[in-house]
Amino acid sequence: MEQFIYYLKVSLKGIKRAPLPYALTIFILSVGLGVFFANATFYYQLNSDPLPQKSDKLFFPMLNLVPYQCTTDCRTPRVLSYSNVQKLSQSGIPTQAAAMYSADGYLRINATQPPLPVSIRITQRDFFSLFDVPLLHGSVWPDNSARQEVILTKTSAENLFGRTDVVGEKLLLDDRHVTISAVLDSWQMLPRLYDANNHNHLSDADDIYLPLETGYDMNYLSNSQSSTFDDTDYRQLSTQGRTGALHQLQYWVQLDTAAQQQAYRQFMHNLVQDEKAAGRHPSEPNNQLIAMRDIVSYFGGESSDIKAFALVTLLFLLVCLFNASHLSLNRYLSNQYEFGLRRALGASRSQLQLQMLADVLLMALFTIGGALLTGYAGIKLMTELLPANRLFADWDLTLLIALLLLAVICSYLVTLYPSLRASFGTLNQQLKE
Amino acid sequence: MSLYLLFKGLLSRKVVTILLLLQLAMTLALLLNSVLLAQQTHKQLNQPTGMDLDNIVLVQLKPTTASLRVYPALEELLNRQLNAVSALPDVVAAAYANQSALLQGGNNGNVYLDGEEGRTNQPSVPMYFVSKEFFRVLDSQVLQGELPQHSVSLDNPVRPDVVITQSLAKQLFADKSAIGQQLNRGRLAAVISDFYGQRSGDNVMYNSIQVAPPYGVDWGYSILLRVTPGRAGAVRQQLDQVLRQVEPNIEIFHIRTLAEQHQRLYRNEYGLAMLLTILSALMLLVTMVSSYSSTHFHALKRQQEIGIKRALGASKNSIFIELLSENWLCTLVGALFGVVLALLLNQALAQVISIPSLNGYLPVMTIMALLLCVTLATWYPAAIATRISPASATKAL
Amino acid sequence: MITLNNLSKIFRTELIETHALRDVNLQINEGEFAALTGPSGSGKSTLLNILGTLESFDGGDYLLDGQSVTGLSDAALSKLRNEKIGFIFQSFNLIKDFSIYDNIELPLRYRGLNADARKQRIEQALELVGLHARRDYLPGQLSGGQQQRVAIARAIAGQPRILLADEPTGNLDSLMARQVMELLEQINQQGCTILMVTHDPDQARRAGRNIQIIDGQLHDSTLYEPLAAHSA
Repeated sequence: MEQFIYYLKVSLKGIKRAPLPYALTIFILSVGLGVFFANATFYYQLNSDPLPQKSDKLFFPMLNLVPYQCTTDCRTPRVLSYSNVQKLSQSGIPTQAAAMYSADGYLRINATQPPLPVSIRITQRDFFSLFDVPLLHGSVWPDNSARQEVILTKTSAENLFGRTDVVGEKLLLDDRHVTISAVLDSWQMLPRLYDANNHNHLSDADDIYLPLETGYDMNYLSNSQSSTFDDTDYRQLSTQGRTGALHQLQYWVQLDTAAQQQAYRQFMHNLVQDEKAAGRHPSEPNNQLIAMRDIVSYFGGESSDIKAFALVTLLFLLVCLFNASHLSLNRYLSNQYEFGLRRALGASRSQLQLQMLADVLLMALFTIGGALLTGYAGIKLMTELLPANRLFADWDLTLLIALLLLAVICSYLVTLYPSLRASFGTLNQQLKE
Repeated sequence: MSLYLLFKGLLSRKVVTILLLLQLAMTLALLLNSVLLAQQTHKQLNQPTGMDLDNIVLVQLKPTTASLRVYPALEELLNRQLNAVSALPDVVAAAYANQSALLQGGNNGNVYLDGEEGRTNQPSVPMYFVSKEFFRVLDSQVLQGELPQHSVSLDNPVRPDVVITQSLAKQLFADKSAIGQQLNRGRLAAVISDFYGQRSGDNVMYNSIQVAPPYGVDWGYSILLRVTPGRAGAVRQQLDQVLRQVEPNIEIFHIRTLAEQHQRLYRNEYGLAMLLTILSALMLLVTMVSSYSSTHFHALKRQQEIGIKRALGASKNSIFIELLSENWLCTLVGALFGVVLALLLNQALAQVISIPSLNGYLPVMTIMALLLCVTLATWYPAAIATRISPASATKAL
Repeated sequence: MITLNNLSKIFRTELIETHALRDVNLQINEGEFAALTGPSGSGKSTLLNILGTLESFDGGDYLLDGQSVTGLSDAALSKLRNEKIGFIFQSFNLIKDFSIYDNIELPLRYRGLNADARKQRIEQALELVGLHARRDYLPGQLSGGQQQRVAIARAIAGQPRILLADEPTGNLDSLMARQVMELLEQINQQGCTILMVTHDPDQARRAGRNIQIIDGQLHDSTLYEPLAAHSA
């Protein structure tokens, strides 16, 4: 230990000897790593799996149950109609299933209060167990039927009442009376894979939850995508909307086993065949059962700018690495005589390598500091310039450890060649001058 | 001083030179592609929109009570709001619309000639339901037919007449007269000049407009105002208050000029180009550091050689030029590799984002910029090196 | 102590081969003080470097303290150098930003001695060269002669069996040179073998033995002039 502290002291002396090149090396490494790390943060968070234990068991079934004959674009619609979902939920195969969409509304305790704009997730009972949503108070609706009951998030309960224990309280949702049946605990599923259409997976969780049937009864239209493929009047959601080709629903089923998945595929196949035979849709069948893991890329919602930037920042990191090793090579070469002297005094290569390790450690230390600063600034800048990704700017332990390792590896690489060259260089020459 | 000797000098410092070349090449590659992307964004932001962006103000709003979102209360609210904002000084014209222009996506649908859906269908054409002043707000030119003079309900047995933009008319009817033709949305009454509708559509200039109160305002609606040139700021300040006086139960999402709306529409591209520009600046800085340090160390190590040259009669200038030329040569060789690398990077980037391909003069420009930076960075250490005294040649011998 | 059998060293470039040393045979016994002289380019430094295991050789054999150095690993060579050989250079080669104490400590560090043992040896060495009071000075604060005495202290602190000195007085004026020579003689009398490269015929004469090297070949002339006669 004492020996290692000595090595550290020697390293520090070496830095003092030529502070400018050393500072430049650190600066360049920090900037390269920081910029790379800032982008890597977004890349990592955007591609993270919010439900690792079941994201391969959750599926979004899509099918061409539409009243039009497709000519050019035969992809299935990205959203389902109410009747599509009804047909899809008749199989009994999934362990759980929930249809959903989101809408905007205004919430208040009574008519005298100013309205609070809220985003409403209109969905079914299983939503909360499908995505492991934690409950703080109350209980989820017992079935999927219409009821004037809402479930609040912790934040919206606190915003409205200043407390969370508000089960049973009455509210006005767009001037209609609803009762609070439950309050959720803090919950944030990022990326929000259950709603990946139109880049919605980048958004925050919704503020309140309303039963699907009630949503249709109250004539809430989707704020993300509503498409009609016939003459359905979208002001008549509770009647025409339930029967016509008004598509706005996403539907998630949990299929735990390969057998279940196979059975569900077969069920979808049969359903489409039957419907086609009954003349209810003229398009070619094109059934899709997309796993939650693949939903973002299926919808083409991958953040291409972050991807492009990943390539660019990686190149930049390489440039910085080259540059820093260039600088450090120069630094070592100007110190080469000292290496020769140490060798003459009996230092073995491994002892010199230990000295180098101390150099690496010090450099890594400074670099980590610099990289964290640059990375933080980079993330701030990126949320400013690409605000769509602002929810994906957080560092977690994995990321920080990765940065730590990367900084050590980079410092090592930067020091490796120069020190090898210095310690393997011919011994005699440097001592003569 | 000969090129041959310069090359030889570079080759003798293999590793250092290779590092420098690689880094110069990568810098150039990144720089080139950043400039490309920035150029593209600039072009996108400057493409014609068919509207006087600075002098049209957009208010996006929604009633907060359900009763105000159904007819006839809604139509009455719309008219009250229009009357109030029209009375403001500097407002030339005001109209409501179910949606604004210059959006990513919104309310849109198929447009085709009745009975000829298969042949003429145009998908995702924005559908505007507006008050009749809408065309005055946009300052549209009427190219064929006449604009509808009265608002007609969409539920009317005879659907309201349709106005389409020039590009869409050309696509649907080629050069034939379009007026009076039956579209799936109604009878075509007029063709107006193009304006930028929705970015996600097949053609941003395709639009269809009907003078009718919107179906519903679940997604909110827009009030668009044409103002006296230069007065957008003044009008904007009063809008919030005026609209709330008319009806307090509204939420105003935003009040912007269409110029701002246009910028937001390309915010992502702008952000990416901006980031790449910042990165390019950092790269140039890094390159400058490396040119600086390489000259500095090189001169330090060759003090004796420079001393000998000075003793043999080399002027300060020739030493200076020699050191600069070494860096120039290095930069040029690196830049050549860089152009190749830039092409590869361009192709790789084209896989994930839309980026134009490289053209002829841009590489030359960026190489010049790179040379300038390298020269600036080399200047100081090279100048220092020329101060080495000819006497130092004899010292160590 | 040192035995060279038919040792040769060739420098090769793309175009020419230079025989720096040709079939050198040399025997230096324990306790000898030998001077190595010869014109520039004769191979003095090459020979000294080979003896110090800083440089490899192409043919023949080198036995140090009865042990052949051929085929030893880098670690073994380093250990050998560290424990048995002390170096003194013409230009002192002190590390400028290390104190006198830290400079002398350097080889002891590589030997892995504990702090107490290191301290004891450094004190002894400083005592011997008479610079005990200056232990915390930096090399730049000392005169040339003092610096060379520090270098000598560094070389002997490890209690080497042999001291290799490359023109130790080359950069010193005559007074200081004499002090350094006296110090070396004193060390020699304590039993340390010394091989010294020098240009100075006077110094060569003071050494017990004079080895001349011309064109890579040795001409050994041992002078049996007792040292005591000189110091008197």
